[in-house]
Amino acid sequence: MITKQESTRLAFRDSLIELAAEDSRIVLVCPDSALVIQAAVFKEKYPDRFFEVGIAEQNAVCVAAGLASCGLIPFLATYAGFITMRACEQVRTFVAYPGLNVKFIGANGGMASGEREGVTHQFFEDIGILRTISGITVVVPADASQVKAAVKAVAVTEGPCYIRIGSGRDPVVENDGGVPFELGKVRILKNEGNDVVIFVMGFVTNRALEAADLLNKEGIKATVVDVHTLNPLDVEAIVSLLKKNHAAVTVEDHNIIGGLGSAIAEVSSEEIPTPLVRIGLQGLYPESGHPEPLLDKYNIGVVDIVNAAKKAISKKSNRSS
Amino acid sequence: MLTEIEELQDVARHIRRDLITMIHLSGDGHPAPSLSAADIITALYFKIMQVDPLNPQWEDRDRLILSKGHACPALYAALALKGYFSRDLYPSLRHINSKLQGHPDVKKTPGIDSTAGSLGNGISMGLGMALAGTLMGKGYFTYVITGDGELNEGVIWEAIIAAKHHKAGRLIVFVDNNEYQSGGKVVNVSGIMPILPKIESFGWHCQEIDGHNMAEILKATKAAQAVIDSPSVIVAHTIKGKGVPFMEGNNAWHKGAPNKEQYQEAMIALGGVE
Repeated sequence: MITKQESTRLAFRDSLIELAAEDSRIVLVCPDSALVIQAAVFKEKYPDRFFEVGIAEQNAVCVAAGLASCGLIPFLATYAGFITMRACEQVRTFVAYPGLNVKFIGANGGMASGEREGVTHQFFEDIGILRTISGITVVVPADASQVKAAVKAVAVTEGPCYIRIGSGRDPVVENDGGVPFELGKVRILKNEGNDVVIFVMGFVTNRALEAADLLNKEGIKATVVDVHTLNPLDVEAIVSLLKKNHAAVTVEDHNIIGGLGSAIAEVSSEEIPTPLVRIGLQGLYPESGHPEPLLDKYNIGVVDIVNAAKKAISKKSNRSS
Repeated sequence: MLTEIEELQDVARHIRRDLITMIHLSGDGHPAPSLSAADIITALYFKIMQVDPLNPQWEDRDRLILSKGHACPALYAALALKGYFSRDLYPSLRHINSKLQGHPDVKKTPGIDSTAGSLGNGISMGLGMALAGTLMGKGYFTYVITGDGELNEGVIWEAIIAAKHHKAGRLIVFVDNNEYQSGGKVVNVSGIMPILPKIESFGWHCQEIDGHNMAEILKATKAAQAVIDSPSVIVAHTIKGKGVPFMEGNNAWHKGAPNKEQYQEAMIALGGVE
């Protein structure tokens, strides 16, 4: 299947330039990541508001914190893992704890987004790490148009935020029903029925939609839900969907520990215990490669989602029998 | 009549007495590393920095980041004397529900400009503040106090490179060079000495002073302020535990509270209980 692509990196950059025109407090901090997001346009337009700090992410996070503490709104964009792992403590102690208004943009979010670079540049732990740090709004948009909406939303949300972006060759979700982005609210992308609910985050959304179509052909009615905001989680909507479907699947290009799968499991086990099958990376480190075959090889394939849905439904049947 | 320097020396003695009192009353803290930084903190808050205790968030104020945050009893004593909060808070240092946390906490203590104390991060934070000041056309200075052992941290050198690149002339860093770190003498633990030539090689404006000589602190700060196209470092040679003879150069006092007898002995050495 040929999927239309649009760069989430450029979606971020272009949105930032738009926002910067309206709000002079917006600045950009790059630890030699200007090329990643093609920031030259921003730099040309706003040379005083562009801060290159070199390949030094811990420094970058604290510099951003210092800028924010004086009333500016710094966006810090680089690879997801260099923000959330290399500079994790700076994110936690110097941004999240004081509640400073720093916006992190994490590129190469997920195995597929790191694609040919290999494990050093594939980041599938970012969401799990950030979910354990209190006070950060965490967003995993489904595609470039959702990135644009997310960037605009976090810019006017006081406090630390993180948005995951991809490789720049990111699939467009064409069949999303036009449901608008609202920070902190799930988007119901497809509602065939209530045999199973498939919660999905990020650039694998097309796979969840495709799986729902295949299930539909087999007479299994699925609801597909984009959970783009991982913190704060839309608990009310998730509980309601679990109540309606009694079986759930999570789909994410992330370790199944800490990310969307964990988030849904937490809500489910506390509010309405529901059979759940999690699709994502399961204790494996991936490798270089084209993103689509990579996702298939590491068990985030459409067929994996279909099978997961059936498994979740069978658990529901077993339990009720 | 006292000269300005003598007045500042008097304030520094007061701050030393207060920080020892604070740690004695609370039962916990880092006395020796607080004592080594006491003169620098005194000079900053009582001569150099433009701040307003009635408006701690005044946006044009000079900023201080105590990157060696464990020395915060000295900072708290200075802030109390400036009027940011009452000395009545002293016994609550490091206790539950207190404004006086174990390390500086921007959310809890009036007058604190940045959370600090996880070592190495103060210069980066200060660089961000300095860059913000330049962008917004403010004239404030950002001061950072680091330890010498703290310079082991890699992020320090990330910040040193970036601050020079950005010609952060309004960023002034004091290194409280008391020659000890938690695990012992810096020369034995970490090999960071000599400090000055290392930072000098990164292109910073560098000075070396006696960190207990008030006149030298003031003079060096003035010289650093005059450098507009480069960040400045002032390596201040200090004595860990300065002012309390039984604590001087005794790393057992890196952390710990003096008992009643030790407290009285310290007070006598510092000029008496207030």
